[in-house]
Amino acid sequence: MSLAAIARKDFRETVQSRGMIALVVLFSLLVAAFAYAVRPTGESEQFATELLLSAFVGRFLVTTLVPLVGVVVGYNAVSGERESGSLKLLLSLPHSRADVVLGKVAGRGAALALAVFAGFLLPALVLIAAPVVFNAGAFLGYTVFAAALGVVFVAISVGCSAASSTQRRALIGGVGVYVLFVLLWGPLTGQLVGAVGPVVDALPVSAAQINVFLRVSNPTTAVEALSNAFLAEQLFSGDTVNQQLSAAAMLVFWTLAPPLAGLLKFDADDL
Amino acid sequence: MTAIELRGVTKEFGDVTAVRDLDLTVEDGEVYGFLGPNGAGKSTTIDMLLHLVRPTAGTVRVLGADVATDGVDIRRRTGVLPDGFSVYDRLSGRRHVEFAVESKDAADDPDALLARVGLADAADRDAGEYSKGMRQRLALAMALVDDPDLLILDEPSSGLDPAGAKEMREIVRAEAERGATVFFSSHILEQVDAVCDRVGILRDGELVAEDSVEGLREAVGGEETLEVAAAGADDDAVAAVRALPGVSGVTRDGDELVVNCASDAKTDVIAALEDAGVAVADFHTREASLEDLFLAYTEGDAASSDSEEADSGPTGVDPTDPGPTADDEPAEEEVDR
Repeated sequence: MSLAAIARKDFRETVQSRGMIALVVLFSLLVAAFAYAVRPTGESEQFATELLLSAFVGRFLVTTLVPLVGVVVGYNAVSGERESGSLKLLLSLPHSRADVVLGKVAGRGAALALAVFAGFLLPALVLIAAPVVFNAGAFLGYTVFAAALGVVFVAISVGCSAASSTQRRALIGGVGVYVLFVLLWGPLTGQLVGAVGPVVDALPVSAAQINVFLRVSNPTTAVEALSNAFLAEQLFSGDTVNQQLSAAAMLVFWTLAPPLAGLLKFDADDL
Repeated sequence: MTAIELRGVTKEFGDVTAVRDLDLTVEDGEVYGFLGPNGAGKSTTIDMLLHLVRPTAGTVRVLGADVATDGVDIRRRTGVLPDGFSVYDRLSGRRHVEFAVESKDAADDPDALLARVGLADAADRDAGEYSKGMRQRLALAMALVDDPDLLILDEPSSGLDPAGAKEMREIVRAEAERGATVFFSSHILEQVDAVCDRVGILRDGELVAEDSVEGLREAVGGEETLEVAAAGADDDAVAAVRALPGVSGVTRDGDELVVNCASDAKTDVIAALEDAGVAVADFHTREASLEDLFLAYTEGDAASSDSEEADSGPTGVDPTDPGPTADDEPAEEEVDR
C-alpha cells in the first residue's frame, strides 16, 4: 500500500537522522539528570514516580522538548523534499499527494514515538536504581502521553510543511507553532480574554469556561491535563472528566486538521 | 492505443508562457525523442505528463487516461526518470529500489535491477554518496520496476559518461523491444538519433518539427551548409543573404556566417555579401548534418526570433506542417517543401 510504503520510508529516514538522535540523547540525559537531582535524600522520604513526572519532568522537559523534537522532525517533511527534488522521485511513483502528506505524518510520528520511548529508557534505569518508589505502570503510561504530544506536533508541522513552497517558510511556520503553543499560549490568550472582557460578559459562558476551553485547545496543556489526570489515577473520571474529553478531542483535531489543511494547499500547487 | 496525447496544452507561469498550444501524440510502442534546447519547455511538458504541473489550458492523456484524475493508476504502469531530482541521502541504493518495488506492489528483485543499471557493487552504500551519474542510474533502476508500459525519461544521459550514455541507450532499446513505449527528452541530438522512431523538436514552448529521423534527414537532403569567413558582415548583409531564394537559415558565429541553403544558391550568397560591401575572405561548404538542422530549428537566427515570436499565432502542428512560425523561420520553410 502506497501510504504505508511512504510511512516506512520516512520512518527509516527519520530514525537515521543525526539531529533526531542528538535530540533524543539530550532529552534522555536531561530527564535522567532531573530524576537524579530531585531524588529524595533522606532515608525515610518517599518520592513517587508520579510526582517526579508531573511536577518536574512533565512541566519542564516534556512540554518543552517533546514539541520541539516534533517540530524538528516534521517541518521539513514535505518542503524539504520539494526543495531538494526528491519529491519528484517520490511522485514519479504511484503515490497521490494525500499518500505523501499522510504517509509522512504516520512515518515521522511513529519515528518520534519510538524516540520518546528510547529517551525515557535511561531515566527509567535511574529511577529503578534510585531510592524512589518506582511505578513502572505510571512511567510507561506517561511515556505514551509524551509520545502522543510529540505526534501531535509532528502532524501540525507536517501540515505546515505541506503548505509551504520553501524550506524557509516551513521553518518559520514550525517555529511559529512552537512559540505559540509552548511559550506564548498562556500570556497571549490571557491578554485576549482580558481585552474582550466586556464581550465575554455578554456571552452565555463564564470566564472560567473560556479559560478551560483555551487550556484544552492547546495540545501542550491538553496533554498535560490528561497526563496529570492519569498520574492521579483519574483518567477520564473524577471532576475533570468533561475537560479531559475535550482535551482528547482537541488532540485528535490537531492531529488531523493541520495535515489535511496543508494537503489542500499542497494538492493545488505546481511542483 | 496512444501512449501520450496532448491536445492544445498551454502552460503559463505568471506572464511567462512555457508551453504554447502544444499538440503531441506518441503511439504505443514508439520510441519518441523530445528535443529542444534548455528552457524550451521540455521539462514543463514532462511535469504535466506526471501532473506535477497543471496545464493552464488543454488536456493531457497518458496510457488512455486523464492525468488529472487517474494519475496514480497511470504511474503504476509508467516508469519515470525525472530531471533535477535528488535522492534520499540516508537510504542505500537498494532501499531506493525496494521503495519503488513496494510502491508499485511489484515483485522485482532490487538487486537484479541494480545490476542491470551497473550499480550492483554500490547497492549497500547510502545514495547520498553517489555521483551524479550513479544517481541517474539509480533513478533508472527505479523507473524499470515492474516492466512499465511507458517509460518517461527526462534528459536520461545527463551526468553520464559516454559509456554510461551508451548503456542507457541499450536499455532504452531493450525496453522498446519488450514492447514499452519510450518518451525521452534531450538537448543533444546524437543521443536520440540512434534509438528514436520519431523525434519532435520543441522551441520556446512550441513544436517546430516532428518527423522520423529519416524524414528529417530527407528534409535537409538538398541542403548544404556554407561557412563564410566574412569579418565585416553587418545586420544588413545578413538580412540580404536571408532574403535570397534558396536560403533557409543564417547564423552569425563571430566573424563567420553559417548559411543553410540549396546547393545552387551558394554563388548568390557570396555575390549578395559582396554587393553589401562585405569582404569574403574564405568560404567552404559541408553537408548539413542533423545537428545543423536541430540548431536551425532551435536557434534559428537571432534577428527574427525575438520580437515576432510572441504574436505568430500557433495553429496546431502536424508532422507535415511543422512550422507555426513559418513566416519568420526560414528553416521551417525548407521542411515544408
